[in-house]
Amino acid sequence: MPLPERPPRGRLARCLLAQELRSLLVSPALWLMLGIVSILVGYSFLQAVALYSQASRTALSFPELARGMNPLDGIFVPTFGAYYLSESLLLPFVAIRLIGLDKESGALKLLLQLPLSPLALCGIKISAMGLLWLLTLLPAALVLLFWHNLGGHIFLPETAMLFAGHGLFSLTVVAIGMFAAAITDSLPTAAMLSLAVTLGSWVLDFAAGSQGGIMALLGRISLTGMLRQFETGLLSFSHVAAFLCMALFFFLLTALWLHPGRGPASRAGLSLLLLVVLAILLAGAMQSHRALDLTENRRHSLNPADSRALRHLQDTLTITIHLNPEDSRLQDLEHGILAKLRRTVPRLVVRYARTESNGLFAASGDKKYGLIEYDYNGRHDASYSNSAREILPIIYRLAGIRVVQEPVPLYRGYPLVADASAYRWWFYLVIPLFCLALGIYGRQGRW
Amino acid sequence: MQDQENRGGELRVAGLDKRFGAYRALADISFTVQSGEILGLIGPNGAGKTTLLECITGLCPVRSGTVSWNGRHLRPDERNRVLWYQPDNILPYGRQRVATTLSFFRHVHGAARQELDDLVMRLALAPVLGKPLLNLSKGYRRRVLLAIALLSTHPLLMLDEPFDGFDLRQALSVMDLLRRHVSRRAMILSIHQLSEAEKICHRFLLLDQGRLLGVGTLDALCRQAGLAAGSTLEEVFLALT
Repeated sequence: MPLPERPPRGRLARCLLAQELRSLLVSPALWLMLGIVSILVGYSFLQAVALYSQASRTALSFPELARGMNPLDGIFVPTFGAYYLSESLLLPFVAIRLIGLDKESGALKLLLQLPLSPLALCGIKISAMGLLWLLTLLPAALVLLFWHNLGGHIFLPETAMLFAGHGLFSLTVVAIGMFAAAITDSLPTAAMLSLAVTLGSWVLDFAAGSQGGIMALLGRISLTGMLRQFETGLLSFSHVAAFLCMALFFFLLTALWLHPGRGPASRAGLSLLLLVVLAILLAGAMQSHRALDLTENRRHSLNPADSRALRHLQDTLTITIHLNPEDSRLQDLEHGILAKLRRTVPRLVVRYARTESNGLFAASGDKKYGLIEYDYNGRHDASYSNSAREILPIIYRLAGIRVVQEPVPLYRGYPLVADASAYRWWFYLVIPLFCLALGIYGRQGRW
Repeated sequence: MQDQENRGGELRVAGLDKRFGAYRALADISFTVQSGEILGLIGPNGAGKTTLLECITGLCPVRSGTVSWNGRHLRPDERNRVLWYQPDNILPYGRQRVATTLSFFRHVHGAARQELDDLVMRLALAPVLGKPLLNLSKGYRRRVLLAIALLSTHPLLMLDEPFDGFDLRQALSVMDLLRRHVSRRAMILSIHQLSEAEKICHRFLLLDQGRLLGVGTLDALCRQAGLAAGSTLEEVFLALT
């Protein structure tokens, strides 16, 4: 005799998505987070506008200074710093509820009996969270609106990058929160575990800032380090892939640990396998230097003539750097010309020569300290400069090519003196009261 | 679809064995239950009743054993097509209104609106439909959970302690409701109150410390225990343990 038919999965998925949305909407944690985000974003925005205005007063008189007045760095990145705080410290408390509350209430035992796989169940839960994450962007949308009303300039591609970075960061944090709830028996333990990861990522990024080697690599693939990449306006495919790999890894782990038919040994074995796959994928993703410069001032790009010339270098260009990891000259070199060369030169080898660190203020015993050596096609040159203006001609000389720079439109900057204080009530009063009202509405089970 | 699902059928559990480390929670449990029948799962606290129900449902992995429906082996991921298990002491979606929660499960199970209205009426849930489940008394919570279970259209329903928290009159009313529903399906009820089990179950499965003491009607169990016909379930249980 055939088994009874399964109910249509589409209908089930829709019902469950609506139910998950209701569950989140009645959660005080969501509204508390939104209220706090509003206050933090408002404060950051008002401070950023005040500082930007101060800097703009001088810049309006000097065009050279005006070129440094960029709304992405001056307004949006500092304002979105508030989102980083809430995504690291508050979002985990909402995310753990997706699984943890159902575990505590026993609803999970009912949900796992529905004809949906744990993977589908987790997918529906994370979709519900994603829809409500859009709600938390309300203060950010107001920032854009108010900045526009003040006469501020918005360059959409780089601003969209910022949103995308925070979207991917949030997705990963939610997946981590869900996994933490799946492997623990109580919400407080899950919260501690999630915070340990998000705060640990911040500490790792901070510690890696002044160190090389494995710490620098870990810092690059830490959540905070990867988010910072999006704040620069550079769409790096390796960082997008790394974020997606991490989110998928924790998402799959959650589904695996929720699967009722698997014993602890099977779960542990598969988790280990997933970890190995993640490590391989991350290593592969971080090898890629493909990127798209979405900034208006093209700060991550070389002159088009330089790019064309460097792309056509046939042999391996080897750069040997004699600088300590904590040396600010190395930081400038890395984030400046070296990052551009990595994205442009087809065969580039960068070597970090061993140098003994004698502290920040003591001189190094190495006579070559500070030197940067260049080897190409059997030719050799060296320089102490970390400026593109000096380094590029060295490379062209070694390659025996001559490059004539193309004229490019000059970025003039967007200095603006404005007062955003009139908008403070939106962030400090209107949105928090709106959240309070909806939170009370939700507490009465009205959703 | 409901008519198709509720054709007669037989669930067969064979050689179910479950261990938690060195502790053997279930030892070689085998039994059958058929449509139109209520099987009482009887045993003291810690006997393994809930573990047995979760193992049958597939919510708990087993060391060995099979579950089949009408002779067809059911993998754990297929069991949700045949059976629905309502655990004890759960509070699903406690902050939401009872009406919302019941409506969600009605849609999930594909039950008719009339079915929900009928359950609300029979379980006297109308006064609490607008309240969150968390704010209800224990008795009302149990009734809501029973409604969620009875909204399911599965051919086999397994309820963990369905009479816990009800007074005598309420328990009798619930028994009457369960009898109406069993005409269309099979039921396994985990009960620790022997007097209530005697009133509603057709057959009994006696469990103690994970071991199966006996399965059958009260008369058959009396014979197995060497007791005179008409002995109570309590006497049978004491004789067998």
